[in-house]
Amino acid sequence: MKKRKFGLAMSLILAAGTLLGACGGGDKDTGKDNGKDAVKIGMVTDAGTIDDKSFNQGTWEGILLAKEELGIQEKYLKPAGTTEAEYLKEMGNLYDAGYKFIVTPGFKFETAVFKAQDKYKDAKFVILDGNPHSGDFKPVVKDNTVAIFFAEQESGFLAGVATAVELKEGEAGFIGGMEIPAPQKFNWGFQQGIKYANENFGTNVTIKAENVIYQGTFSDSAAGGQIAAQMYDRGVDVIFTAAGGVGVGAINEAKTRAKAGDKIWIVGVDVDQYEDGKYDGDKSVILTSAMKKLDVVTLDMIKRELDGKFPGGETLTFDAKNDGIGLPEENPNLSDETTAKVKEALDKIKSGDIKVAAEQGSLFK
Amino acid sequence: MRNTIVSLISIILGLIAGGLLMLFIGASPVEGYTYLFQGALKNISRIGDTLATATPLIFTGLAVAFAFRTGLFNIGAAGQMLIGGLAATAVALTMDLSRPILILVMVLAGIIGGSLWAFIPGLLKARFNVHEVVSTIMMNWIAYWVVYYIVPANFKGGTETESKLISETASLKMPLLTEMFQGSYINMGIFFAVLAVIVIAFIINKTTLGYELKAVGFNRHAAEYAGMRVNRNIILSMLISGALAGLGGVALYTGNASSMQIGILPSQGYDGIAVALLGANSPIGVFFAAVLFGILYSGTGFMNAMIEIPPELANTIIAIIIYFAATSVLIQRVFNKFRNTKTNSNDVAGPVGKKGES
Repeated sequence: MKKRKFGLAMSLILAAGTLLGACGGGDKDTGKDNGKDAVKIGMVTDAGTIDDKSFNQGTWEGILLAKEELGIQEKYLKPAGTTEAEYLKEMGNLYDAGYKFIVTPGFKFETAVFKAQDKYKDAKFVILDGNPHSGDFKPVVKDNTVAIFFAEQESGFLAGVATAVELKEGEAGFIGGMEIPAPQKFNWGFQQGIKYANENFGTNVTIKAENVIYQGTFSDSAAGGQIAAQMYDRGVDVIFTAAGGVGVGAINEAKTRAKAGDKIWIVGVDVDQYEDGKYDGDKSVILTSAMKKLDVVTLDMIKRELDGKFPGGETLTFDAKNDGIGLPEENPNLSDETTAKVKEALDKIKSGDIKVAAEQGSLFK
Repeated sequence: MRNTIVSLISIILGLIAGGLLMLFIGASPVEGYTYLFQGALKNISRIGDTLATATPLIFTGLAVAFAFRTGLFNIGAAGQMLIGGLAATAVALTMDLSRPILILVMVLAGIIGGSLWAFIPGLLKARFNVHEVVSTIMMNWIAYWVVYYIVPANFKGGTETESKLISETASLKMPLLTEMFQGSYINMGIFFAVLAVIVIAFIINKTTLGYELKAVGFNRHAAEYAGMRVNRNIILSMLISGALAGLGGVALYTGNASSMQIGILPSQGYDGIAVALLGANSPIGVFFAAVLFGILYSGTGFMNAMIEIPPELANTIIAIIIYFAATSVLIQRVFNKFRNTKTNSNDVAGPVGKKGES
């Protein structure tokens, strides 16, 4: 009996193998649609997957945009771990395969890019949210590298203003991933934004210290759901998540509650998360999203490279002034009044009338 | 000899299965495997990287295999690695000693840290018969959060998620070796690993201790009846197993890497189980199995860069090869069946086979 089952299974596998193998073989050539001389743009992913709704995804979408617009050939590699050696190994693999323009998302790449920019002198590197250094935090940006930073606090600020103006009154919370600069700056900006709206637009939205929590990872979505549930139970109306996969858990929790009729919201982060918050057809729990326009910036860098104007050796900061951060164009959950107020705040940040601090000061966490 | 054949068959099956998957997704297996092996062995620097990748796996493979021999399933190698690595990193960052002494102290710290983490499940097993699978897994998470707390609190580097970088004096990397392998991150960990293989092979095969440990593994009650102190042997086996895993942590965090990261349980801990199975729980077998895993892990990236497949699929291919490679127990069964076709099929797979069932 056992043997027969085994035989059956084996023959099934073999049959499936030949069938699918045959149809797989056919489309092999169509995969390389951009020809051999297309510029090869590579990316090494940070911890997490390519569809992390955050850093990796934002960067990768920029590269895909470049593929559409500029016809480059793209490839990303996922390192086995997050050590410098593993990052360097994947950069080397890309380089050896002819990908000589390499984008690396995240500060974890700092020391790896520092070594790579010397090792692969004829390759170009873009590091997002970090500065190459040897381990001593003294930035060394060589001529074949660009370091890019974002003013997350300004993005968080705008989200804070939008939240307060839209809700008029209520309780806000924050869930962060790890307690590291990017989520922290989002958090501090968000708190300042709410405060600004309370003072200038007559809203009454509060945020309590116990509702500002860093989960500790960017991946534990179950924990994100639990923290969100606790916050909503404590009477929080809107949660700003800057936490990658943890935020996804919070969004799912919010969706469950929204379906049951609760009036609660999530503010998304990094990319426009409106689609991820959809429930009951066309409603979404995503009030708005505090974006870092990783895709736009990545595309921009690739464009500049193709135009021969790669800003090698520079450290660039993308903020409100050069539209590197901001809220999504379309915010179906925000009223026109809110959009106008946000626009007002955005203009004031641009003109320098509002200065958003990137430090904690007297803010929570 | 028979074990070797079984392992080789499983590897070949694994490669065939991986090749089938490549066919599924429209890539040529021949091309794929060529790039895979090129990626791991193309030049001297890549060979160095492959050996360095294999180093922690040799240790965790040995750790799991050693415990297996005593009938214990140590799933806690990951946690033991973390604590071993943490202890060594702590020594590296705080003590100011000359290089040979410093490295010796670091290695000792790693051994103590790892064995401490395995001692607790060993004790629980010996005294209260708490199943070691459960307790070692729990210890993994305790280790995870201990590191999560201690590293930022005491050894915080430039970022919240990493410890300070250890100095060159404390690193297991040797300039001579790095130069020889043209900038690879290979380090003296590989020598420690080879040494460990020899020592463990000696303990298992040539000493009374090894004999007793194996006896406990084959049949606990018979061993007890024969006058062996079963409980002591269980604890001892876990201690040695933990020490090996701890050394793996030293090799990983102060050799391959130069800092500790929080929020990550090293995957080498679990891979050690597969390495041990493929290596048929013999130290030499573990060594070659770990090197094979090193080749697979090192080569993936290059294969991925050269052929048109997404990285998730490249990782799936590797996982499938490993999965099949780890089914050596199954193949052993089939092997046995063919040999005694007509006699009754009482299985004599030994402790490994029994473990596979439970």
